[in-house]
Amino acid sequence: MLTSLLHDDPQGFGAYRLLARMGSGGMGTVYLARSRGGRTVALKTMHARIAADPDFRTRFRLEVDAARVIGGQYGAQVVDADVAAPTPWFAAEYVLGPPLGAAVELAGPLPEVTVRAVGAGLCGALGQLHRSDVVHRDLKPSNIMVTAHGPKVIDFGIARALGDDRLTRAGAAAGTPAFMSPEQASGQEHTPEGDVFALAGVLVFAATGRGPFGDGQPADLLYRVRYAEPDLTGVPHALVPVLARCLDKDLSARPTTQELMLQLHDGAGEFVDHLPRALLAEIGRCAGGVWQAPPPRLPAPPRADSEPEPEAAHPAHPARGLSRRRLLAIGGGSALAVAGGAGAWAYSAARDEPAPYKKPPPGPSVSASGGKHDWRWQSQIVKGYGDKSPAHPFRAGGLVVIRSGVGFQGIGIRDGKARWSTEDFESDQDVASDGDRLYRLVDLDAEKDRGPKAMRFPLTIAPVDLHDGSRKKALAQLGTFNGVLPFNQLVCAANGVLYLVAGQGEKSRERFERGDTWSLLAVEAKTGKKRWTSPLPARTGGERLYVLAAQVAGDRLVLFQQTADGKVSIVAHDTGSGRALWNKPFPGPAPDPVDVMGRMRTDGDHLYVGGSALRALRLSDGKEAWSTAPKRAGGVFGPPSAAVDGAVYAVEKGQGLCAVDAGDGKRKWREKGAGEGEAAKAAVADPPVIAKEHAYVRGPSGLRAVALSSRKTVRTYKTTGDRFVADEESGVIIGVGDRFVAAFDLL
Amino acid sequence: MKAAGGEVPRHIGPYTVIACLDDEHGALYGPPPPVPERRFFARGSDGDTVLVCVPHPGVDPGRFAAEAGMSRYLLGTWTAPATWLAPPGEAPWHARAYEPALPLPMALAVLGGPLSEPTVRVLGAALADTLSVVHGQGLAHAGISPASVLLTAEGPRLTCFGAVRAAGPDGEPRYGLPGLETGSLAPEQAAGGHPRQPGDIHALGATLAYAATGHTVPERGEIPPVLRDVLTACLARDPAARPGTARLLEAFGSAAPDMPGTPGLSAAPGASTAPGTPEVPGPGWLPGRLVAALARQSAVLLAADIPVPDTVPSPPSPAPPVPPPSPAPSVPPPSSVPPGTAAPSHD
Repeated sequence: MLTSLLHDDPQGFGAYRLLARMGSGGMGTVYLARSRGGRTVALKTMHARIAADPDFRTRFRLEVDAARVIGGQYGAQVVDADVAAPTPWFAAEYVLGPPLGAAVELAGPLPEVTVRAVGAGLCGALGQLHRSDVVHRDLKPSNIMVTAHGPKVIDFGIARALGDDRLTRAGAAAGTPAFMSPEQASGQEHTPEGDVFALAGVLVFAATGRGPFGDGQPADLLYRVRYAEPDLTGVPHALVPVLARCLDKDLSARPTTQELMLQLHDGAGEFVDHLPRALLAEIGRCAGGVWQAPPPRLPAPPRADSEPEPEAAHPAHPARGLSRRRLLAIGGGSALAVAGGAGAWAYSAARDEPAPYKKPPPGPSVSASGGKHDWRWQSQIVKGYGDKSPAHPFRAGGLVVIRSGVGFQGIGIRDGKARWSTEDFESDQDVASDGDRLYRLVDLDAEKDRGPKAMRFPLTIAPVDLHDGSRKKALAQLGTFNGVLPFNQLVCAANGVLYLVAGQGEKSRERFERGDTWSLLAVEAKTGKKRWTSPLPARTGGERLYVLAAQVAGDRLVLFQQTADGKVSIVAHDTGSGRALWNKPFPGPAPDPVDVMGRMRTDGDHLYVGGSALRALRLSDGKEAWSTAPKRAGGVFGPPSAAVDGAVYAVEKGQGLCAVDAGDGKRKWREKGAGEGEAAKAAVADPPVIAKEHAYVRGPSGLRAVALSSRKTVRTYKTTGDRFVADEESGVIIGVGDRFVAAFDLL
Repeated sequence: MKAAGGEVPRHIGPYTVIACLDDEHGALYGPPPPVPERRFFARGSDGDTVLVCVPHPGVDPGRFAAEAGMSRYLLGTWTAPATWLAPPGEAPWHARAYEPALPLPMALAVLGGPLSEPTVRVLGAALADTLSVVHGQGLAHAGISPASVLLTAEGPRLTCFGAVRAAGPDGEPRYGLPGLETGSLAPEQAAGGHPRQPGDIHALGATLAYAATGHTVPERGEIPPVLRDVLTACLARDPAARPGTARLLEAFGSAAPDMPGTPGLSAAPGASTAPGTPEVPGPGWLPGRLVAALARQSAVLLAADIPVPDTVPSPPSPAPPVPPPSPAPSVPPPSSVPPGTAAPSHD
């Protein structure tokens, strides 16, 4: 993932101007950078304070040497370097593909043909190193990038020449226990045979999703590496003897890279022919993603008014890899994870959907033609890597706040000017707005791999400063809940109360665990006082969020609550006591959770839902007040609007906009031209937006405004946006597409 | 002929040319289908990479510029609106941000054969969907041909908007005009008729036939059976006999709903996902060899370092463009240049 440059990142190194961050660790930072002539590279630096230690500077230089030895076929071609600079750096080819670790997370254990092809490529890479008397010493899934033309080995942070003893301290504790050779684990010299051992471990991982010695505490791993037999369960039958030989404790029994290559692969076909489709798709995304506009540099953080915070709650620069929480939104599906760790090259790829819209940049050539656009303003947003759900616009204090890249962007609702962007918001589920103020959960995902302390942290809620997007002083820290759990949610904010889903338990995996307990709770925004907690059904697994949508209506908190298997029920709580008042399955055929996410419409008396019929449920007891079903069987309705002047509006599939009486569900009217043309093609997935005597309905040619009085389309705004909210106060309707936010003047 | 249509310019407007998108070798059978415009990878002075297009010699610059200007208003997921245009009064070009893409004829050359039938269907659904949006805007695309379809990892891009209108005015025969592909050009347009929407259907049919067989005018028997009827209908001589986009969407979507290995992993943004709608391209829709070709093209352009002149030569005058200051542009050697990056001759 490319993330924004921080305010104090330098402009560039050598001839290279920095564009974005690719990743950062304890030793240094990797940037995406570009020369004046447009050559685009990954530029790796070592922090000046670390490079002040001669041992570390030597290590950096050796890394550059090793990267040069391996060259562009099996590694990232080094194109420039200055190892003598105060901040030493080198620029290398930007590699188009995921690390093997992420590839396995994405595509699952790889098929035997893929494992063989990757293995053969790695034999070539190691052979090339070994012929130059260099050993890698730290081959592992995160150090191997899978490209369309073969694997590339990167990160030579601890590679060294055979017999080289210049590295004493800096290189001593090197290696990754899970893939370390037994001789390395016992502190002896690591030889080419040790790289072969690690290679076999990597292939076991590729074929099964885990290393041959499992995982766990480093000490246990080191013991197993030295004394236990490798676990080859799940390795394709024909590969077992080949890999077992490589994993022999006796290094003289292991094959050379040359022998192993012949045993793995006959060389037929092209490398790309052996890749599964999910991996091909990812490589395709990498090839295109690097050309997307990088996220803008972040402004300097605020100074005076920021108050001291608990240290762990405020990582200095939360330069993070891929946010795991982003992937959870709906649950199920595949998940990606980044290969992390200090010094590792962060995986970088913008995962983007096709761009239906390209922002015409300002320039005489564009404005000269006099073409008039329909929007008042529009602003580009960056689709985050791995985002599963469309970004939801929040309105707060005259801003539209929307997910963009890894963070959020605050845009002035009247003028469309981007006021700030952040990179440490997590996802829509962390944020809630009451219209005036924005609140967020403080998350420690960035530190999730930094030891046991980061596995547990009090659940922390903070207001967001709408001037600069920074987090203000925490309003509540709840020690009984674990703020690190990935399924915590800030579900809504209303009438000075924040409603949350929060869990108790240890974070061990990115899924629900047996033994965790989860609650719905209400916290006063002003005082941070907990008002009540109400238990949520226990979960024993899965990764589906509890709450898909929530609203406060009168004294009811209404939730679209998701079960572990993806069913949706409607639950109402008393906002005073927290007591659950009723709980009903979503009426009609089970909805797709995506379709109801963030799309709840209530008024003082009723909750309105679409589906096979339009229905109104009484907020008091959850019983159906009316339904259009008996009269019009077979219809399909999108999510309705809330009642406006006694009518509820929805799109009826194949017909268009219709209005029913909010009191009894009788149809009042259909729009003119219903069932034909644009009306028939109106998007059913979206609720109509009602503002100032017009209903706004999305369709293939844009956003149509239908006058409620004449029932006629009075205007069509050209836009490919697909999420709309109206802001009557500023007289605009905000439309969001995958790459942009735009504001259109309301009629 | 050098690289599809004459000498390769070093500069186009504010851009320095890196390489040609199209090359004269990339055909499956016989000579490659003509390209409606000349297309180049190029660098702006800020180091940004674009795809910049200029008209063929002999094409009226005003007509070309008008179509490029109009294309900026195209809606739809798979269209390719121009982002930057030549200032009025200067030699016309249009440009948009680079993304890795292979022209359809080049894709067939890379594969050494036509696209598989499921891939053609997904391509057809995306292009028919695009046409329904463009037609909904009241426009005729009038530029669909094999070379106007670019394939990216995320889906196709329908480029060359208005090529037929740009090539020659109504009322004059358009047979053999530069850049127009004979098989894709609807007979009524070839005869000089005003390009209308049914002509797009004809061109789409010919282009999909090309994708499926390597020819825009295939024998009926060459076309995969599930596509045979619909493509033949598109190619009807009588414009009124050609199907509408709705019928095409239905045909491409329903031909084989549960075929294993059907490409397309995700719905297009904003597209309806109701059951029965055709599958649309998404990550993973392309065969591996094309993904590899896209990755290579991307890598070559990432690595290309093109010295950019400090002051941009402005090319309105017929004088030859000012050569860039030394050192000479370093262009990747032709041997390492993948399909889609035919090296220009700078000499």
